[in-house]
Amino acid sequence: MRDTPLSPIPGTLELLILRTLGAGSEMHGFAILEWIHQSTDDALIVEDGALYHALHRMERRRWVDSDWGISEKGRRARYYRISPEGRRVLAAEEERWSRYVEAVGKIAPREAGT
Amino acid sequence: MAPRRRLFRLGFGRPGPGRQVDWEIEHYLVEQTERLMAEGWTAEEARREAERRFGGLARQRRRIVTVDWTEHAMRTGAAWWGGIRSGVAQAIRRIRRSPGFVAGIVLTLGLGIGVNGTMFGIVDRLLLRPPEGVAHPEQVRRILWRGMWLGRQGTIPALTYSDVVDLRTVPQFLSVGAFTSTRRLTLGSGEGATEVRAVLATADFFTTLGAHAQLGRVYTTKEDAIGDASTVVLGNEFWRRRFGGDPDVLGRTLEIAGNAYTVIGIMPRGFTGVDLTPVDVWLPAVVARHAMDSSDRFLTSRGYYWLQAVVRVSDEASAVAGSAAATALIVNARTDQVRRGQYDANTRVFTAPLLAARGPRASATSKVALWLAGVALAVLLIACANVANLFLAQGARRRREVAVRLSLGVTRSRLVAELSIEAVLLAGLGGVVALAVARWGGSLIRTLLIPDVLWQGSGLDGRVLAVTAALSVGAGLLAGLGPAVRSARGNLNRDLLEGGRGSSAGGSPVRRGLTVMQAALSVVLLVGAGLFVRSLHRAANADLGLDTNRLVLASLEFNDPALSVTRDAAEVNRLYAEAIERVRSVPGVTGAAATDVPFQSEMIAHLTLPGVDSLPVSPGTGPFYYSVTPGYFRTIGLRVLRGRAILDSDGASVPKVALVNENMARTLWPTKQALGQCLYFDHQTECTTVVGVVENASTGDLDDTGALAYYLPLSQTGYAAEGLYVRTDRDPQVVAAAVAPVLRSFSPAVRYAQVQSLGEILAPQLRSWTLGASLFTAFGGLALLVAVVGLYSLLAFEVAQRRRDIGIRSALGASGGRLLRETLSRGAALAALGTLIGLAICLLAAPYVQQLLFHTDARDPLVLVVVVGVLLAVSGLASVPPALRSARTDPIEALRVE
Repeated sequence: MRDTPLSPIPGTLELLILRTLGAGSEMHGFAILEWIHQSTDDALIVEDGALYHALHRMERRRWVDSDWGISEKGRRARYYRISPEGRRVLAAEEERWSRYVEAVGKIAPREAGT
Repeated sequence: MAPRRRLFRLGFGRPGPGRQVDWEIEHYLVEQTERLMAEGWTAEEARREAERRFGGLARQRRRIVTVDWTEHAMRTGAAWWGGIRSGVAQAIRRIRRSPGFVAGIVLTLGLGIGVNGTMFGIVDRLLLRPPEGVAHPEQVRRILWRGMWLGRQGTIPALTYSDVVDLRTVPQFLSVGAFTSTRRLTLGSGEGATEVRAVLATADFFTTLGAHAQLGRVYTTKEDAIGDASTVVLGNEFWRRRFGGDPDVLGRTLEIAGNAYTVIGIMPRGFTGVDLTPVDVWLPAVVARHAMDSSDRFLTSRGYYWLQAVVRVSDEASAVAGSAAATALIVNARTDQVRRGQYDANTRVFTAPLLAARGPRASATSKVALWLAGVALAVLLIACANVANLFLAQGARRRREVAVRLSLGVTRSRLVAELSIEAVLLAGLGGVVALAVARWGGSLIRTLLIPDVLWQGSGLDGRVLAVTAALSVGAGLLAGLGPAVRSARGNLNRDLLEGGRGSSAGGSPVRRGLTVMQAALSVVLLVGAGLFVRSLHRAANADLGLDTNRLVLASLEFNDPALSVTRDAAEVNRLYAEAIERVRSVPGVTGAAATDVPFQSEMIAHLTLPGVDSLPVSPGTGPFYYSVTPGYFRTIGLRVLRGRAILDSDGASVPKVALVNENMARTLWPTKQALGQCLYFDHQTECTTVVGVVENASTGDLDDTGALAYYLPLSQTGYAAEGLYVRTDRDPQVVAAAVAPVLRSFSPAVRYAQVQSLGEILAPQLRSWTLGASLFTAFGGLALLVAVVGLYSLLAFEVAQRRRDIGIRSALGASGGRLLRETLSRGAALAALGTLIGLAICLLAAPYVQQLLFHTDARDPLVLVVVVGVLLAVSGLASVPPALRSARTDPIEALRVE
């Protein structure tokens, strides 16, 4: 079904989540998961459980907040939204990430990015 | 994303982290399965694939939950820490704002905790802690035996010296020590003579206990032998009191009971051997005994029980084996006595833990003390109920404040934390009050009610402090947690709108329940108080056959060993006769007489009747003989029922006469007149004629029901007098103080005279009832006071809360009288319910209390009726002020306050 996925670089998953939530809406875990799978072509996530683990770690760091609610399908779901702290982290990380990609791009052969 | 509604308000009802993670995972699995099924998977495969994609359910779940628990713990910790800080701040604010409220709580809890600290200190010393200065106390055991003794089945510590020698041969007993009970002996002679509390102990008594002298040394076994120099070891407290703690006292000579003893050591502080009574001097048993008693029957006789023993054993099994060996030795040594029916062949020796209070011979005082400790807990419960009530009332008044804070985002758990902290803090202040109570109340109880125990320190040791601290926290939580939870659970909207005014419903069911419980416990304590007061009254006025309230007892000690040891009867009796003459001239003295039988002793002599080989004799019930001087019966308050008393004319040269008591007359001559009968006393061939019958008398034990006894003229038996009874017509203590100097100085032959009122001598027997009566009354009174204050505040609070309703009803025409009656009957109903529950508890507990009482039924109807009456009357009084307030409610005022 999928190509062998990349093992996610530490911090990448968090960044992806922050970016997903950064659009401003509240999403439950499965919605975030689907969004990331779609936008990365299933490339980055090994186990879906890791996403939940990341979400909880991020909540502990106050990057996201959560609340329980009822989903559009009428199910009990935990909704996450980005916090002001999360936005600051997102901004900082995006900048660091682009500098990193830029630096890697200067030395790496062209085929590196699949 | 999509619109949704929230599941939980304010995060208060949110389930624990584990549950939340489960829900979340379940949501993932459901969504994923659904998606996979949409792709064409079967339901079962889809579910399995979803689980696979999640990646190890259990492992992932554990990782996520761990994250959450750290989070959770930090958050809760922060909430509690915040709660503690603001709770402390709140409490301080409240102390400033309403000192009366705080003082009430602190005082109530302080008294409640204080009585517990006090009773713990006492019970700890009496029951929980081994005696001071004993090494490995768990290895040391008392020797007791069970068998017939003085006509009754009993558990007895008394042994003869020969028995102790036998015990030393038992291989399981690593060491055996013997000692006597405390006795009063004279210290010094002449004007400056005083009395000391002495214990005679063998040298191996100290080695068995593992006790060493703090200064100098204890005597050795070699030094405790007849003919050796006499040595004495002093108790630490006596040494400090009498000699100011001077170490130079070592080597000095003390004159004790007329003999010289050289001080060779001082025991450590608090050392009292195995009992808890203070000991001034420790004397070598054999040496000291020999000095008081010229014959050596105390060493050889198997009928002379003057010692008790302790043994050291390595474990329980060897204690049991040793007891069996000791039983064999002690019973086999008495085959002659067994054959003559003078000794119980079924006697069994056994060992018991060191504290008499713990063993089968638990003292009545310690049993009562244990009960009182339970009672103290009841007092604390009542106090907690009252404080909880105050907090509930406070909470009801502060409902609006709580609602405002909740709506401002303060979490409920934090509110609960805050309120509980406040309660614990107040209880902590109560704990400080409690320490003062334990300090002063404790020393009062110790010195007044349990004076025959050597108490150490102020009563505030580490253990008492720890118990007080634990009780403070416990009481604070008990009283504060419930009300705190209740007040944080309030209905936000209603409370914000209605504010502190409250509706007529209020929080009253709980508060009413607490009030009923208080009343019930008060009834229980008051009934206990009543039972002990009645026991004490009956015991103090028990008919001993002698007039306990008017008698002084005296005994003379002489310088000349011929008088004090060998008892030259003629000279001793001459001195007693002179003493009687002198004493009669002391103001307040209305009579005096001597006897050869010391108080609380019994003497048996050989006695036969014409034509009868042997009398129905039993060691417990006599017949006991008393040689007495004329005037004896009048002096001690015994009535001569038939015939005549002993007269001056009954001298040595005239026919011998005797009086018998009613029991003896009925036992020996059930069908005949006792008067004129003949007795052969002490192997005499001459008839002793019965000339009178006197009423029965106890031998000095309160429980004694009266043995057979007969009385002979001292001048005819020729025995030496041992004691003097003095009858007074005023306070015997005062007369005793006046008699003492007369007896100590009337003759140069007299070294000292012991003088005590009978009341003083009997006081130790009354002690457990005195203790119970005093403290049950104090605790019961305290409980009643607290409970009544509780009832009053509940009713006052209800009236205040229902002010508007009452106003409306009053406006609609309800009369003041009707409103008054309503409040009164509400109070009466609570009190009556509490009383009923209390009575039920009393009846259930009755069988357990019974054994502690003296001639009083644990269901004594008078006590029950009086207590019920008192409780209902007092609670009625407490209902009056709130009832009046309710009746006087001005409807216009009440409705305008909005």
